[in-house]
Order: sequence, then C-alpha cells, then structure tokens
Amino acid sequence: MSPKCTIDGKEYEFKPGEMIIQIADRNGVAVPRFCYHPGLTIVAQCRMCAVEVEKMPKIQTACSTPAADGMVIHTGSEKVKSAQSSVMEFLLINHPLDCPICDKSGECDLQNYSFDYGAPDSRYEEQRRTYMDLDMGPVIKKNMNRCIHCTRCIRFCDEVGGFREMVALKRGNNVEITTVDGKALETDYAGNLADICPTGSLTLKDFRFRKRVWYLKKTKSVCEGCSRGCNIEIHQENGVVYRLLPRENMEINKWWICDEGRFNFHYVNAPSRIVEPSVKTAAQLETSDWSTALAEARRRISGKVLVLAGSDLTLEELRAIQKFAADRLKECALLHFGTPGHLSADDDKDEDKILRRTSKTSNLHGAEKLGLRGWKGDGSYDSALVFRGGRAALPHGLRRHVKGAIVGVGVFPREGAGDFDVVLPGLSYVEKSGTIVNWQGKEQKLQRSIEPVGLSKGIADVFAMWA
Amino acid sequence: MLVKSKPSLRHRFYLFEILTGLSITMKNFFFGRKVTIQFPEERRIYSSRFRGLHYIKAVNGVENCTACMLCPTVCPSECIHIEAGERADKEKYPVTFEIDILRCCYCGYCEEACPKDAIKLSAIYEMARLTRADGVLDKENLLVQRGKK
Repeated sequence: MSPKCTIDGKEYEFKPGEMIIQIADRNGVAVPRFCYHPGLTIVAQCRMCAVEVEKMPKIQTACSTPAADGMVIHTGSEKVKSAQSSVMEFLLINHPLDCPICDKSGECDLQNYSFDYGAPDSRYEEQRRTYMDLDMGPVIKKNMNRCIHCTRCIRFCDEVGGFREMVALKRGNNVEITTVDGKALETDYAGNLADICPTGSLTLKDFRFRKRVWYLKKTKSVCEGCSRGCNIEIHQENGVVYRLLPRENMEINKWWICDEGRFNFHYVNAPSRIVEPSVKTAAQLETSDWSTALAEARRRISGKVLVLAGSDLTLEELRAIQKFAADRLKECALLHFGTPGHLSADDDKDEDKILRRTSKTSNLHGAEKLGLRGWKGDGSYDSALVFRGGRAALPHGLRRHVKGAIVGVGVFPREGAGDFDVVLPGLSYVEKSGTIVNWQGKEQKLQRSIEPVGLSKGIADVFAMWA
Repeated sequence: MLVKSKPSLRHRFYLFEILTGLSITMKNFFFGRKVTIQFPEERRIYSSRFRGLHYIKAVNGVENCTACMLCPTVCPSECIHIEAGERADKEKYPVTFEIDILRCCYCGYCEEACPKDAIKLSAIYEMARLTRADGVLDKENLLVQRGKK
C-alpha cells in the first residue's frame, strides 16, 4: 500500500521520496515555480512554489519538501498567497517593463505568474539595476536586466549541456549570470537555455524579433536531425516555420534537443531550395512544369538504373520506392544513402553522451528494416534516380558512376544540384506525415505542419503521375 | 386593422393642399437654415475624439513604435502588418509598418492597445484614393505627424 498525502482536500498516492511539486504536477495541481525544472537538480531558491503543510510552523517549498504519509498540504491558503505575492514583488523590483520588445512575452513564466500572483502596481521608486551584456555566442542572446537568478541555465550547463560554462558572479542584488570570462557558449545544446529560462534573459538569436509567440501554430512532430528521433513541436505561421521546440519524451530526448536539430528547419523556406520542377538545359537547371519535367525524367531513366533512396525518407516513402523499382524499372539496384560512412545501422553510434547520434538521417534504422543496403559509392550505371528528403548528404561523386541522366526527386538545394539533369521537387519533414524508426527501434510519426512549398509534391504523387 | 376614412372635400380638391406644400418648400428654400457647407473651403468641426487617418507618433524624428505587435494582435480587421528589426539606436523597431486603410474600420483599438503611445488616429477624414494600392499606408506615410495627440 503506497503512502498518500492530501493536497487541497484531495488525496493522492505517491512513491516514497517524491517531492510535493512532483505529486502536484502529476495530478494537475497548479504550483507556480521559477527555479524548479524536472530535469535539473533542486535548489529551492526562487521560493515561488511555497505551500502550507499542516503541523509545520512555516511555509515550505513544494520543490524541496519530500511528501510524507498523511501530509496535508494547502497550495492556495492566505499565508501561501501572501508569500507568493511578496516573492513576485521582489522579483519585479529589478525586472524592466520591456515586455513589448521581449521575445519571451506570451510564453513567459514571470509574465504569467505576475498576472496570476503578483500585485498590479509597483511600490518601488529607486533606480533599477542595469547591466552591460556580453555576447554569449551565436545561439543565445543574453539580457541580464531581465534575469531573476533562478540558475536554471547554470544547472543546465553543469548537468545536461556537458560544459560547466555558466556561473553566477557577485552577490545579492549585484549578481550577474554569465559565461566564464564572457566566452561564447561551447555546448551543442545551448538552445535549450532559451527554453528553460523563465524570463526573457536568454533568448534565441535565430528567433529574435521574427514573430510574436502567440501567432505561432504548433504541430507535434519528430526531429529528422539524427537517428535519435527527438520529439519536437513545429511552430509555424502561414506556411513559414519559425522555430522548433523540444517536446518531453522521457524515453528518447527527455526535455532537450540539440542545436543542430533545432535549427535544421531553415532549408524548408530557404530561397535556395528548388521548389519547381527543373530540367537541365545546356549548363544549368531551368524552371519547368510538372508534365515537361516528368516526361523528361521518364524518357531519360533507362538501362541499368541506380535508385538511391535517402535514409531521411519515411517508411511509407521507402516502401513506395521499393514497389516502384520492382514494378516499373527493368534493371535496377535500390540502395540507401544518407550520412557518409554509414552503410548499415551498425555504423550508427552515439556522437556524444547526451542526444546526438552519428547517423545524420532520421530513418537509417527504418531503411535497414525494409531491407535496403547502403550505397558503397561503386558500380557503374546507365542512369540514376535519387530520392532525398532534405537531410541526407548529397552523394558526391555520383557522376563518375553514372553514364546517362541523373534524376532527383525530393528536396535539393540549388547549389548542390549541379550533377542533376532533372529535379522534381519533393517534401521536407515538416510538409509530410509518415513514420520513422529511431536507433532504439521506436516507430514515431512525423506530422505535416505546413502546406508544400512552391510546386513540391510527395513521392507517392510523383509515382502516380509517372505512368 | 386597416381603417379607411373618406378624405374631405378640401383634400379631394388637391389645389389647396398643393399650394400649402409649395409654400412650406419655398419658405425653407429662401429663409431656412442651410444644411450643406462649401466643403473644401469650409469644414465642419468634429469631436476631439474623432478617429480618422492613422499616424505614428515620432519624438525627435524617432518613431515611438517598438514593433511589439500588439496593434496587429488586437486589430479586428487584420489590416496592420509589421516586420520587426534591430538597429544601433533602438533595440527593436518596425522595419516595415503598413496599414491598409481600405480594410480598417477605425475602431481605435490599436491606439488603445499601444503601450508606447505610438499609433494614433488623427482628425483627418479624407480617405479617397485613386487606386487600391494607394490605400495601403507605408511607414514613411504613417510617420507624417497628422495631429497633436
């Protein structure tokens, strides 16, 4: 029989050793917090998660008080409310009123809790402290004036990010959160600092002033950056992806995502992406229409065909390609490509001890499951058909093994498509739904979040028109 | 219920009635208060709260606007389009600021929502434009100070 405690008059079971805030979170009881994050150690320094526990003389912090059997907890008593409103008043003493220009506003913990627990006006009349901000590298923009010293960022770097590179200098009111000696952040996970920061102190440079967060529409999906398959949320408006955020999945990525995956979406709306069917005339690719480009592709795919399927495609697309190769092509070799040096799933290793994997395509393990083998960069063929989802490394040196035409189907950048004779624009991972298999063998669903850019079409549509 | 009453002889004769009507018209024509004005030369005085053509308040040549996007958020006719940017003297400023005055319903919510006292509705009510494209005011046009609000 597991122990039970009472929160706001309701009884909840818990495992011994759990903190009050964990029980509250699991059962949907709202407890405000700034410094507590489930993925980081507990410091109990913001004092915002105050709760009243019966038979204890003072109010307790819910994040650092282990629940005990028979404990009676109140989250909304007068004592608690006055403590929380005092905490808010102290935090807002030095917080500038620059919500109109702050990227965090709309999803800011301080803003929300100020609305819910704070006083409507300030009694503070003295000067507010100000800081000159040092640069923190290419990912994060710091604004120390907005900081409330929750130290989530310091703990993140110590415990998750792999480098102990953020510190709190000085004391009391003069405290400054900074990188050691003002160096640029080295961690590959710096983007998470902007997510966990409860105020707008640390924001993404990439997303800076690009969109107010309340305009963004959200879709749950999976990252295609590597074979880890981190769960993400795609934030878009009007067919333009503005940012990706990690989504909690305790079995895969917990709460985090690496910077490479976070900023991987830029090619989707980039002007360099080929979004119209293109046919090579003389030296360069020229924009054409679907019927002309398809006719050209159909005519020039002949003889011994090398069919290369990117391991960034979904299972559904790979299966369609297998069927197409078997039914429509007389003599062909169907192989997958993706990350240089990754011919089979065995080549896929951990790149660091956190999330990143060496296979930079999401579905290498799914392609193996369907029986595809990696292209070793050998053989000689009459023509080639390359399917790519946007992430696989373009097969360099393909021209040396192919005598005739090379046709590309999928997402290709204009610069890298020099070898191709026909390019039929396909869908990237935010424009299609499908299934990918990560390195653990977990099948996860990609969710379509935006309409296809330009004239791009899915691989199944291309096959339907091919006949 | 429809009640029909037979008109009197005087009514049925018409001539007296026509003369009475004509005399009222003539009286108004020659001696009545004029309701029209000579518009471009003469102008009516409107309430000081009148909501007309927009402008963005500028102090010392710098626009008050910080591109916080509260006006496009509150706008019921979705006629405001802003792109934000950063420059040396101002952390956040509107790179483009467009108001489609053909879509605008002059509710004044933008003025009310503005935390920086930047967007204003002036007393100007002449909105006629030759083309639809002219109906979209750009930042340069909006920075013309049309009032003293």
